[in-house]
Amino acid sequence: MITAERKPFAEIKASIAPYKRILVVGCGTCVAECAAGGEKEVALLASQLRLDADHEGRTVDIKEITLDRQCVYEFIDQLFPLVDEYDAILSLGCGAGVQAVAEVLPKIHIVPALNTTGISETREQGVWLEDCRGCGDCKLDLFADVCPITRCAKGLFNGPCGGSKGGHCEVDPDAPCAWHLIVTRLEETGRLKSMDEIQPPANWARAQGKGPRKCVREDQKTS
Amino acid sequence: MIANRSEAHVAVFFCRQLDPEQDANRRSLEKELGSGIRFFPMPCSGRIEALHLLKALETGARKVYLITCPQGACRYGQGNVRARKRLDYAKSLIREIGLSDDCFEMIVAQGPLPLSIGDLARELLGRTADEPDSSKEKQAGTNPAAYLAK
Amino acid sequence: MIESRLKRILTDGQFAVTAECGPPKGADPEVIRRKGNLLKSYVDSINVTDNQTGVVRLSSLAACVILRQEGLDPVLQMVTRDRNRIALQSDVLGASALGIRNILCLSGDHQSLGNQQEAKGVFDIDSMQLIQTVRRMRDKGIILGGDQLSSMPDLFVGAVENPFGDPQSYRVARLAKKVGAGAEFIQTQSIYNVARFREFMTEARDRGLDKKVFILGGVTPLKSARMAEYMRDKVAGMDVPEEIITRMKAAPAKEQRSEGIRIAVETIQALRQMEGVRGVHIMAIEWEEAVPELVEKAGLLPRPAI
Repeated sequence: MITAERKPFAEIKASIAPYKRILVVGCGTCVAECAAGGEKEVALLASQLRLDADHEGRTVDIKEITLDRQCVYEFIDQLFPLVDEYDAILSLGCGAGVQAVAEVLPKIHIVPALNTTGISETREQGVWLEDCRGCGDCKLDLFADVCPITRCAKGLFNGPCGGSKGGHCEVDPDAPCAWHLIVTRLEETGRLKSMDEIQPPANWARAQGKGPRKCVREDQKTS
Repeated sequence: MIANRSEAHVAVFFCRQLDPEQDANRRSLEKELGSGIRFFPMPCSGRIEALHLLKALETGARKVYLITCPQGACRYGQGNVRARKRLDYAKSLIREIGLSDDCFEMIVAQGPLPLSIGDLARELLGRTADEPDSSKEKQAGTNPAAYLAK
Repeated sequence: MIESRLKRILTDGQFAVTAECGPPKGADPEVIRRKGNLLKSYVDSINVTDNQTGVVRLSSLAACVILRQEGLDPVLQMVTRDRNRIALQSDVLGASALGIRNILCLSGDHQSLGNQQEAKGVFDIDSMQLIQTVRRMRDKGIILGGDQLSSMPDLFVGAVENPFGDPQSYRVARLAKKVGAGAEFIQTQSIYNVARFREFMTEARDRGLDKKVFILGGVTPLKSARMAEYMRDKVAGMDVPEEIITRMKAAPAKEQRSEGIRIAVETIQALRQMEGVRGVHIMAIEWEEAVPELVEKAGLLPRPAI
């Protein structure tokens, strides 16, 4: 899923400082999964904001709502009739969610409450590991299903580097060396020979695009 | 600092396994203090969520206790371990706002079980009323030290 | 016609001596000149590191040019961490144009280790791909993507290998891969575990790699027992055996440098006896002054005349 983490409270507080009536909007998909922006997290943040205001003798009107998905307009539309009741919307959506809401509701200030961090798997409950950087040119098959762009700190296509020690990365000793994983998996499945081949440089054009990448499916369009 | 016991504003989340007679045992205190004390029995202390603790503050509590079973005695295994982590998380959220995190306190009950939640609560209130610094224990009633361990 | 002294020494069958020179964290060319002249008659070529450990220093390319002007044979170290393929290929052409005749291709230390931790790590291509690219530019006159160059760079292409990194079983295979990519010489990570390096060389020879590439063993003299421990604990991919630590600790503080030199000399002598090892690469980081003594004590003087 897309993972995100809630911004520090001080940062959020500063962004919404000018406002009194705030709607805290969560998203029930990815960010709910990684416990950053789902219904529970919306409730917690709202509670913190109220406690904080109370402590400082300020009056605020904080309401909460969680959409199924914040990146799909059909769900965002629910907010349309509510907009006049608030001074700002504090969005706990990922970067796409925040921007989609802003697209649908351009007249009200949408404040992001999360830092979107990546595309990850739930390794174990409470632990999310980044797996994919959206390079648009998936080569997992060449690397025993361990993405070197994402999981090797240096993005090597012909690793490991000299700093791999005991299966750990020299840059982050808590992280496994991706190349150690790749070599081991290839060894265990009798595919080590494929490592003899030198992988050519990546095509970063697919990752960068010419600005934001766009996917179009004419068959899916309504007009 | 709470001057008047009837304004204790204390919330007590506790594991039901500590006191099977909890319903009866808390009645006298509830009568005495009215809304000054609220009890929240739980099937396991590990079911506590940060939101419960914050909501308790939002709705008037000034001190929130989470009482867990003794170490190793959790009927469900890891409940009291999980309770600690969640309480710590709730504390971090409170610190983020700039408030003092001692509004939340975890109490690990000492055996033997069962105990009386009413008696234990009285003990805690004694501390809350006279000692804003809850790290000091108050000697009162029937052997409080037997109930309390941090 | 400028040619690579390193290549000449190696192809002539002589035991080569190279040393590393760290550029200053400043703009003063005199620092490079001083270091260069200190090493002049003691080594065949001088490597200049490329913003090592992600710390901003006077550029390797500029420092190499300064050394070139002093009549030395520099080895341009080029990492892929900071520049994309456009810049790297461009610098390859520029280096050759300025008379630099040796290049060492590496990925580089991660930017999170240095003093610019917020910098974007580029890693557009990796060291293996860089080796291939430079060889193709030199031998075929084409760059990545296939465009033709108007004239080819003239460079002796090298790479690094760490015989002590993990996974162990894969290290010689990795060396083979670098040879396949086009590496002509290899400088290894610092050797303290001579026995283990000997095993590495045996396996390399079994694969015939010693005939395909010039291997230079890396040596770093220890300045102190604390440095030995630091290398063992904090530097990834280093194997510092307990006997070395013990030896260093046994020496009184004032004599630890001498002990460090002694150990380094023994290592060099062992390397000279190893079949397939064609030279030594001395990495006396911030202790370039130790190189002349080391080279002399190892019996490697005088350096051959060309």
